[in-house]
Amino acid sequence: MKYVGKSVTRVDGIKKVTGDLKYVDDLKMPGMLYAAVKRSPYPHAKIININIEEAIKLPGVKVVTTGKDFPKRVGLYLADKTFMAVDKVRYRGEAVAAVAAETKEIAEEAISLIKVDYEELPIVSNVLDAIKEDAPLIHPNLGEYKHAPIFHTLPGTNISEHFKLRKGDVELAFEQADFILESEFYVPHIQHCPIENHSAIAQFDREGRLTVWASCQSPYAVRAALADAFKIPSHKLRVISPSVGGGFGAKAGTTLEGIIIPLAMKTKGRPVKLTYSREDEFNNSYVRQAMYATFKTGVMKDGKIVALKSNFIWDGGAYTEYGVNIAKSAGFAAAGPYDVENIHCDSYAVYTNNPVGGPYRGFGMSEIHFGIEQNMDIISEKLKIDPIEIRKLNAHKPGGRTATNALVDDACGLIDCINKVINDIEYHKPSQQPKEDYKVRAKGFACGMKAPSMPNNAASSAIIRINEDGSAYLSVSAQDIGQGSDTALTQIAAEILTIPPENISINTGDTAHNPYEWQTVASRITYSAGNAIIKACEDIKEQLFHLASIKLGIFPRDLQLEEGFVRSSIYPNKRIPIKDLALGLSMEDGSAVHGPLIGRGTFIPENIRNFDMDTGLADNPVVFWTYGCYGVEIEIDTQTGNIKVLKVASCFDVGKAINPDLVKAQCEGAIVQGIGSAIFEEIIMQNGRFMNPSFMDYKIPTANDIPEMLVSYVENRQKDGPFGARGMAEPAMIPAAPAIASAFYNATGIRVKELPLTPERVVKALKNHKILNKK
Amino acid sequence: MKGFKYYKPQSLKEASELLKEYNGEAHILNGGTDLIIRMKENFLHPKAVVDIKHIPGLHAITFDKEDGLRIGACLSLGTIAHHRDVVENFPIIADSAEVVGSGQIRNRATLVGNICNASPLADTATPLLALDAEVIIYSPNGTKLISIHHFFKGVRKNCLNVGEIVTGIKIPYSKNLKGAFKKGSRRQDVDLSTVCTSVVKINDEIRIALGAVAPTPIRGKMAEAFAKGKNLTHETITEIAKIAVAEASPIDDVRSSKEYRLHMVEVLVTRSLEELKV
Amino acid sequence: MKHEIYFTLNHEKILHEVKANKTLLQMLREDFDLTGAKEGCGQGECGACTVLLNGKPINSCLVLAVEVDGKEITTIEGLSEGINLDELQKSFITNGALQCGYCTPGMIMTAKGFLNANPTPTLEEIKVAISGNLCRCTGYKRIIEAIIEVAEENQSKD
Repeated sequence: MKYVGKSVTRVDGIKKVTGDLKYVDDLKMPGMLYAAVKRSPYPHAKIININIEEAIKLPGVKVVTTGKDFPKRVGLYLADKTFMAVDKVRYRGEAVAAVAAETKEIAEEAISLIKVDYEELPIVSNVLDAIKEDAPLIHPNLGEYKHAPIFHTLPGTNISEHFKLRKGDVELAFEQADFILESEFYVPHIQHCPIENHSAIAQFDREGRLTVWASCQSPYAVRAALADAFKIPSHKLRVISPSVGGGFGAKAGTTLEGIIIPLAMKTKGRPVKLTYSREDEFNNSYVRQAMYATFKTGVMKDGKIVALKSNFIWDGGAYTEYGVNIAKSAGFAAAGPYDVENIHCDSYAVYTNNPVGGPYRGFGMSEIHFGIEQNMDIISEKLKIDPIEIRKLNAHKPGGRTATNALVDDACGLIDCINKVINDIEYHKPSQQPKEDYKVRAKGFACGMKAPSMPNNAASSAIIRINEDGSAYLSVSAQDIGQGSDTALTQIAAEILTIPPENISINTGDTAHNPYEWQTVASRITYSAGNAIIKACEDIKEQLFHLASIKLGIFPRDLQLEEGFVRSSIYPNKRIPIKDLALGLSMEDGSAVHGPLIGRGTFIPENIRNFDMDTGLADNPVVFWTYGCYGVEIEIDTQTGNIKVLKVASCFDVGKAINPDLVKAQCEGAIVQGIGSAIFEEIIMQNGRFMNPSFMDYKIPTANDIPEMLVSYVENRQKDGPFGARGMAEPAMIPAAPAIASAFYNATGIRVKELPLTPERVVKALKNHKILNKK
Repeated sequence: MKGFKYYKPQSLKEASELLKEYNGEAHILNGGTDLIIRMKENFLHPKAVVDIKHIPGLHAITFDKEDGLRIGACLSLGTIAHHRDVVENFPIIADSAEVVGSGQIRNRATLVGNICNASPLADTATPLLALDAEVIIYSPNGTKLISIHHFFKGVRKNCLNVGEIVTGIKIPYSKNLKGAFKKGSRRQDVDLSTVCTSVVKINDEIRIALGAVAPTPIRGKMAEAFAKGKNLTHETITEIAKIAVAEASPIDDVRSSKEYRLHMVEVLVTRSLEELKV
Repeated sequence: MKHEIYFTLNHEKILHEVKANKTLLQMLREDFDLTGAKEGCGQGECGACTVLLNGKPINSCLVLAVEVDGKEITTIEGLSEGINLDELQKSFITNGALQCGYCTPGMIMTAKGFLNANPTPTLEEIKVAISGNLCRCTGYKRIIEAIIEVAEENQSKD
């Protein structure tokens, strides 16, 4: 292949290194107004009254809105939220009113003039309290909320999703098991921290057309949510996402767009902009949900796991429109990448008065694997079986069964990945110890897996137009949020059309001009949009062959594309350039046929079926599973508690790397983000208050925190993937925290049950245990 | 950021008069890396801001063995950290300047600003305390020198009267100075100190300064007294560190618990002394 | 009250009026449409707003616009002329040292100022030099490699 499988240089490089690329907050428009938001100082309170009189009188203020202007509940999977609070606030920082004014300063001053009377309600700040029978209800009307039929809400409780997985007979298996082990783990709230904060602009014209410029991953999903909330026909609602300064899930849904639209509806056509500060971003975009996990595992003497009973309790925060699906995803992946015959898992999405949970790279998998993988280490230690061997013994392998009893297909390369990483990190060779006696080094290992968790009908489409010079436009609504989809998708089109990537311009991010894409999430874009593009290219090819066969007098079946020409596969010198057919075929008598070449491709995964509502079992519930693992080496300063991750080897089965450099770049970014979640990152919540909403006190890794990275991949073809590719950018982060925790155990003999491994937590753990002396 | 009047005086006299005119409602602007954040975040809204960077004479480092080292108020931490006189004669100051914020911050922030903010965790305060530095202050009645030990009055409170301006820091030279600056932080770079320490050894004298463990940076006088004249054996060092811990009175906050800070005092003081004994 | 300032912006002499409470970042973005410098945190923690002030990288969100009177400011937009990119910009592209691109202008300006002062740095010096520029996408590896490549070119020029 000429372009696929090659490390083609990013197509978006120049505009990004020059500062030319405009992000939403860089846009200025004539007459633009600026919004500011009044936010709740209480985590749980009734709104008694909102007085906007003083605010509206302030010169320069154009509009003031409150939640009552649009009280309709909306949500991706569960319609439990309004864009601004109506009657009641459910987390500290929830929007209660908004202002549009001539300047940001005036808008902010107006906000300070809005007076809100609240009646405080008892708060539910801990998810374990939230599931108690007498817990205050955060959504008493949960039973009335609309939701996708695949979810199971429990009205009258704080549980908005209960996913049950019931496979085999765990109780019987526990009776037969040689050993039974129990463990529990906790993962705190963290945040995505894209360097670009959320920003949106809304403009509403007199024809009732709404245009929204938003820093969002999924323009069509934003359109759907906004059309529903504000009763605007889809053809009159245009969502433009000019560029996205990092997403990681944070920009997958709708957040601030819904706050400015009611304002824009009353500004007589003047656009309204709202850009979050970093503090807003921390408090009011999504967070990754905190989660408690418990595991009870039945194991045979030879290391085979025969039974697993687990509980995942997710702190979904005030609204779980997205969180319900994370709980579900955790449930159907309950055993991780291991083949276990008897599984009983309950996964709950639970309301609390904490910040709103949402999708974050890994979508529940990083969280559950923290426990699953450490549980494997615990078993390995108990049985005195090498941790790698016990994983290999239980690992998903072709012909095996997943937790939902689906067949593991031939494309599962987990064992290949394990072998590669063990070799790269020299897992079985002890670390060389540093000279300082207070420092200790050790290695750790963990596996991970993930499937896209999405509706079965999550579709993609692509349109290709051939220009008269033989160049092409590729139009899709996959968003390049940094992952490099513009480049990889261009390569796919280039490969089939035999047009070099530099002669293809990709257009994205505008629902008025580019065709449907469900969402840029779930590591599904290369797979799904890639497949749509292949079909669009095939469509172009068919048209080209039809015209060329007339021109050349050769059957279409004997034609092929090569270097921008349609040529006979039998008579190589019989050929015609693509450009000569771009606008149709002109005959010798001057007449013409067909007209411009437009290729159309649509894709929807086939035969993906629902989980059984009672057992959670399903024979084909997801499009693919991506497997992989990490080997790490860390150094602990046992006195200060600081951990340095020295080396990470990672390997994932990517099916086919469309662009090897981009695949590796995703792995590198994932490793460093994963390190952040393992040793630095934690939202510190105190009674519903986010205590560290700044980069001063929420630390993410810098360039000086990165390890040596040995990144590799294996390629076991995805049978329905474009050129065999499957998604990998989210899976690439999953094993980070458990691998580091495993290394920590190997260094100290202490099993950490809670993240992150901050210096203070490390010191406390070491003080409470007798440290193994390395010498 | 709320509005304010901006002044760019050309002399200390002019600056001082402006500060007096506003009677406490004007703020000196130097590097601005702290002031501007505090103004943006509405912790401070001065009526006027007096930018002292255009006043001649505040941008020099001078050194001789008699007079010691003088660092002008407007020198950036980045310049100080790499200045030959500092690196060669007072490496502990260079080390502390080098860990404040990021490179971009250090290109603006100044050592004098770091001191004037009087933050309990100011990284550069501890070496100055340990070295018995003096703060050079312009006052309408003439220039005065105040010991750094009398400069800090509480969390974000210094001893300056309205109209007074710190023009520099003076640090006495000692031929046999050995020092160790240590910082404990959650992340290796660009982080606030959980605890920071400066320990110096001048001949047989040990001095210990601690940051982020009290309302102001402090000296561990009892630990120093105990150390006086003793050989720095492992046991002595352990004891000195323990006494230093007893002198610290840190708080719990979002960055650290009190217990961890006390633990870190012990670790950092011990490590420093182990380094200095050789 | 507005202040008149006279300064050099991307090699061009500028006379401009600005309010005292405007930051340099705001002035660049709002008054000159130079939106390459971004606000990521407003606190000098992320470095997305980095520009050069008299050749040195600084956080433009923590400098008042009035303070640049008499000074020289270079932003990412002033680094290249047309399509003739600076060596660092080229190196960032060829090394794949960017993903979402939001931190990229600040990162490049920090690297530029750093290499001006230290043309042949060590790996450790590079890591520390860019530790005030947060990137959430790349894992920094390729950014470091891009800077090393330019540093090595500097070395070979010596």
